[in-house]
Amino acid sequence: MTISSRIFSLMQEKNISQSELSKRTGISTRTISDWKRKQTNPSADKILSICEVLGVSPMHLLGGEETSYAPTDSAQESDLLREEIRSLNLRLEEAKASNMAKETFLSNMSHDIRTPMNAIVGMTALAKKHIDEKARVADALEKIETASGHLLNLINEVLDMSRIDSGRMQLADERFSLSDLLHDVMTIVQPQIDQKGHSFHLETGEIPCEYFRGDALRLRQIYVNIINNAVKYTPDGGRIEVSVQEEKKEDLCHLFFRCTDNGIGMSEEFLQRIFEPFERAGSSTVTKIEGTGLGMSIVRKIVEAMNGTVSVKSSPGAGTSVSINIPLHFMEESVQPAAAALKDKRLLIIESDEDMAHVLDGYLKEFQIPHTIVPSASAAVSALTDAEFRQTPYHAVVIGRKQENSGSIYDIAAYLNKSRPQLCIILVSDQNWSEIQYQATRAGIRYFIPVPVFRKSLIGGLNAALSEGESGSSSFAAPDLTGKRILLVEDNLINQEIAKEILSLTKAEIQTAENGQIALSMFESSPEGYYSLILMDVQMPVMNGYEAVRRIRALSRADAGTVPVYAMTANTFAEDIAKSREAGMNGHLAKPVDINALMQMLRQVL
Amino acid sequence: MENWQKTYIENTRSISRLSNFFASEGSAPETWAADRQKAREQCVLLRKENISLLNRYLFPALDELHSLDSTSVDALVAFADELLDWKTNLDPGVYVVIHDALLSVARVRKDTDAVIRELYKLGMGYYYLRRYLNGIDVPEAAAFEFQNEMVFTEAGSYLHYFDQLENEDTKGYIIRAMANVALCTRNTSRRIAASAKTLQVAQDPHYRQQAPNLPWDAFVRKTHQQMSANREELSSGTMTTAELAAVLDSCYEIFKPEEQSENPSVRWIWPFYEMEYNCGYVSAEVTLSRIEHLVSKTPPDQFDMSGLYANVQLPVYYGRLLKEHPRLLENTDSIRFLNEAYRKMIRVLLTCPPDAMDDYFFYVIRAVITDYYEVEGVPSYKEITRQLLARFGGEDYIRFCRTGAVIRCICAAIYQKEPDFFDDIPFLAAIGDPAEKEKALMAYAQDCGLYFDFGLLKMNISRTMLTRNLFENEYRMYCLHTDSGHNDLIERPSTACFADIALGHHRWYDGSDGYPVRYVRNRSPYRQMTDITACAAYLAADPGEDPAGTLSRMQKKSGKQFSPMVMAYLSDQQLAEEIQRILKADPSPYYEEIRQYVSG
Repeated sequence: MTISSRIFSLMQEKNISQSELSKRTGISTRTISDWKRKQTNPSADKILSICEVLGVSPMHLLGGEETSYAPTDSAQESDLLREEIRSLNLRLEEAKASNMAKETFLSNMSHDIRTPMNAIVGMTALAKKHIDEKARVADALEKIETASGHLLNLINEVLDMSRIDSGRMQLADERFSLSDLLHDVMTIVQPQIDQKGHSFHLETGEIPCEYFRGDALRLRQIYVNIINNAVKYTPDGGRIEVSVQEEKKEDLCHLFFRCTDNGIGMSEEFLQRIFEPFERAGSSTVTKIEGTGLGMSIVRKIVEAMNGTVSVKSSPGAGTSVSINIPLHFMEESVQPAAAALKDKRLLIIESDEDMAHVLDGYLKEFQIPHTIVPSASAAVSALTDAEFRQTPYHAVVIGRKQENSGSIYDIAAYLNKSRPQLCIILVSDQNWSEIQYQATRAGIRYFIPVPVFRKSLIGGLNAALSEGESGSSSFAAPDLTGKRILLVEDNLINQEIAKEILSLTKAEIQTAENGQIALSMFESSPEGYYSLILMDVQMPVMNGYEAVRRIRALSRADAGTVPVYAMTANTFAEDIAKSREAGMNGHLAKPVDINALMQMLRQVL
Repeated sequence: MENWQKTYIENTRSISRLSNFFASEGSAPETWAADRQKAREQCVLLRKENISLLNRYLFPALDELHSLDSTSVDALVAFADELLDWKTNLDPGVYVVIHDALLSVARVRKDTDAVIRELYKLGMGYYYLRRYLNGIDVPEAAAFEFQNEMVFTEAGSYLHYFDQLENEDTKGYIIRAMANVALCTRNTSRRIAASAKTLQVAQDPHYRQQAPNLPWDAFVRKTHQQMSANREELSSGTMTTAELAAVLDSCYEIFKPEEQSENPSVRWIWPFYEMEYNCGYVSAEVTLSRIEHLVSKTPPDQFDMSGLYANVQLPVYYGRLLKEHPRLLENTDSIRFLNEAYRKMIRVLLTCPPDAMDDYFFYVIRAVITDYYEVEGVPSYKEITRQLLARFGGEDYIRFCRTGAVIRCICAAIYQKEPDFFDDIPFLAAIGDPAEKEKALMAYAQDCGLYFDFGLLKMNISRTMLTRNLFENEYRMYCLHTDSGHNDLIERPSTACFADIALGHHRWYDGSDGYPVRYVRNRSPYRQMTDITACAAYLAADPGEDPAGTLSRMQKKSGKQFSPMVMAYLSDQQLAEEIQRILKADPSPYYEEIRQYVSG
């Protein structure tokens, strides 16, 4: 029986007419008629679609057909046809497997997508129901925000994967700091680590290169992904250790990253598939661990795009260790000039974490920068008193990561700033600066150095902190306000003289007024933007400070609402401070005016 | 002292006297309420004058401190000293402001003697200011302790230069500051280390020779006393052998001679017994019987330190022991004794004459509020604290009653229209009968007025608020009254339902402002009542304000500071008028209620 006669037999069996077959396969009725009329066989590409319509496999259609098939064509043609059919069969199997993977993916994803979508839909309905209850609506929106964030992550990963697969991913080639990169990674993962009560330790070996060229964002994505997996797959209260090391090889520096946890680990079988897309250690519905199953696949693809390698070691119950090696172009940057400027500065470091103290001590000794390390705020106050009594005061206090028996970093900074405003207070911390900046600067912390601390970031940071604002008088660290104009409103002539004397250190132009009325007239008659700052006494004859500021703020000129006005007063009732704010003042300086507190304020405002 | 300073002190004393309801015991019942109202009006005027005096004289003086002549500075110092006399402590806040400014000047002038002296004095000022926070265990309090510790630490660190300093008074400040570091930390090891170091220095002949006129023996004795205060920690098991020995040594040094005397004072004998118990020398049972003996032999009209010690602190300690060792409750005699002792304790507190109400008196009241053990067979915490509020709340009590009446009024209006409005509150939801439920709601509403500011009772900051406006650091302390009230109320079953009201009544409805941040409205089943209390408290805050004006201001903050649901009810004309009537009503019945408490 020829293939064509088998086709017609099956058509009859399945009650499919020639016109229907033509319609469903796209093969013209004339061609189909020719097979019957001329006893020829259809070409291989048409057999597949015919099989689909008839509901049989190509092999079934071909089954035992060799003898009857052979006479119609040459042997060579027959071989080619068989080969073509075999290849088509293979593609069909692949397509089926691919379909299956898609179905599995969709099944997984539908749960992961539906879960946050449920929250979004449900919370939206709840918010609408309680539309008048602002707090309840706010709570619902907060939950919607969280769920949306999660959903966005899923979508991003799926899109990322697609971008990588289609070869559309481009790696940036920009200068970046390893210290900043690792600090960012730590601040991103820290909340999850804290939430699960894990202990986290970052160990950095000898770091000869601190600045590289490459794609810092993608590197961050890789490291965050690996650490997040460790966090997710480690039961609460676990241990996560990250080590970062470098090795220079010719013109490249290899960055070795290893993340080790004591989590649930993986089976040998799963380990084989870990880099396959949509694979997760256990279903999220069972483990309650959410994710797309794309993370490790993305990691490997990015690492490979960076010419690096990634390997995983793990066994069930014994934790997991992921190692990544990426070769990067490094940038040589000398620390020496910055370090040289620090040799005559004395630093007091408050750090009770031995590892951190060791790192800081090592770098400072290497560059011969005079320093003392104390473990607590009490010891720091004693050391400062000693130094002042011996007339060899410290120039800066570095508040480290941990302090023994002390208040919060803000309490320490606030006390030091109040008692010794000339001191430059620097914070070395693994916290996210943008989150703590407001409170930290209010407490008097002037500069921030991110953890992990490397040579360049430490020396550069110290140098920037200590040179910032230095103009003539290092003890008061007066900022350079050349070109700025300050209106000093003060009725007491002695106080006015003292303040003028101090302000002159900043090189700003100082103009004075004896009462609020004069200050108001001066401001009114000045061009817009003329004054950069107004320092306003409160209790004055003719017109007091509150009234003067109220009137200034009410003027119809662009800078009336924006010019910073600071009260200088001894009135420290909470109500007075509130009153000065209500009048339109931006802040408050306690009298008797402390030179250094004034400088601190100027530095912050201008 | 200058005249304005004398006037300020006199005004402050007058306010203290006029605001003490017990002091007007002599008034006839029929004129009592009128007398109280007159006294309140006088207080308002004196307060106004005080604020004006500070604004007109003190702040300008501090303003010009750099150029002030020595006579004026001396007068300022004398004024400050009068405000903090270590007994009545009229105004630690102003004392701190003055010495803070003097320290600032001393630092600029690099006058080491003045820096050390002012550090010590500022430290003492901070210490007395921190008394507002005694017994308030919240993280925010740590910042004040730390600030205090640093000031003393800095003064103490000049010990290295003891030989180089000439002024003997300065040397005395150094030793005292060193010792006082122990007053500023909750860490036992650091307290012990500070006292041990001071004892070492104070007994060292080298230092004694450097300043032969200093009262070294008094320093030693005082420091032993400070060291012995760690006796409570003896049973904690966290002390090193050296620390244990140091504390025991000081306890023997201070208390043993008293124990061996013929008629030892309770104040001295009890710490010795306490030490013996904490060391494990004697059992809890023996300690209980020792307390029973000491309390029984002390008459209820003994209001000196020993009397208050026996009649107030020991019953509190007795309750703590029973709480720590529930097995002791099996002996019904213990509960019977505790009941009697608690009743005697409250009688003593309510009848204490004004001249005995010093800092120590308020210290023991705080101890009662913090450690009262509510157990079956003794008066409930609610019963005890209600009496304390009436007795020591002063004008605040009137405010609480008024607020309660406003809350009742709002609740009644809401319940009428939405009977399930309060069903998140577990004990109300459990009541099926509507009439019973309404009755329970009304009683609860009235008591919410009484307890929302409960934290203020323990802080005793109202006295300062009657005298003048609060300074910024005092205001920061004042804000902790919400946490303080919550923490004490939540601990006892009879008051737990008021805890969230106390915590959340200053937090804004939308969570964007107010305090404390830890109150999360949506997590509290009492949130609706907290919302209502916040509105009622705002309305009743100032009896001099026009309620209509206040309501109109509040409407502008509806949905932000105040609950829009409550504000919607308050926009009802009839309800608003009813509230105005309550707020403007004659307060005589409230005063009469207080009088009955005061007269026992």
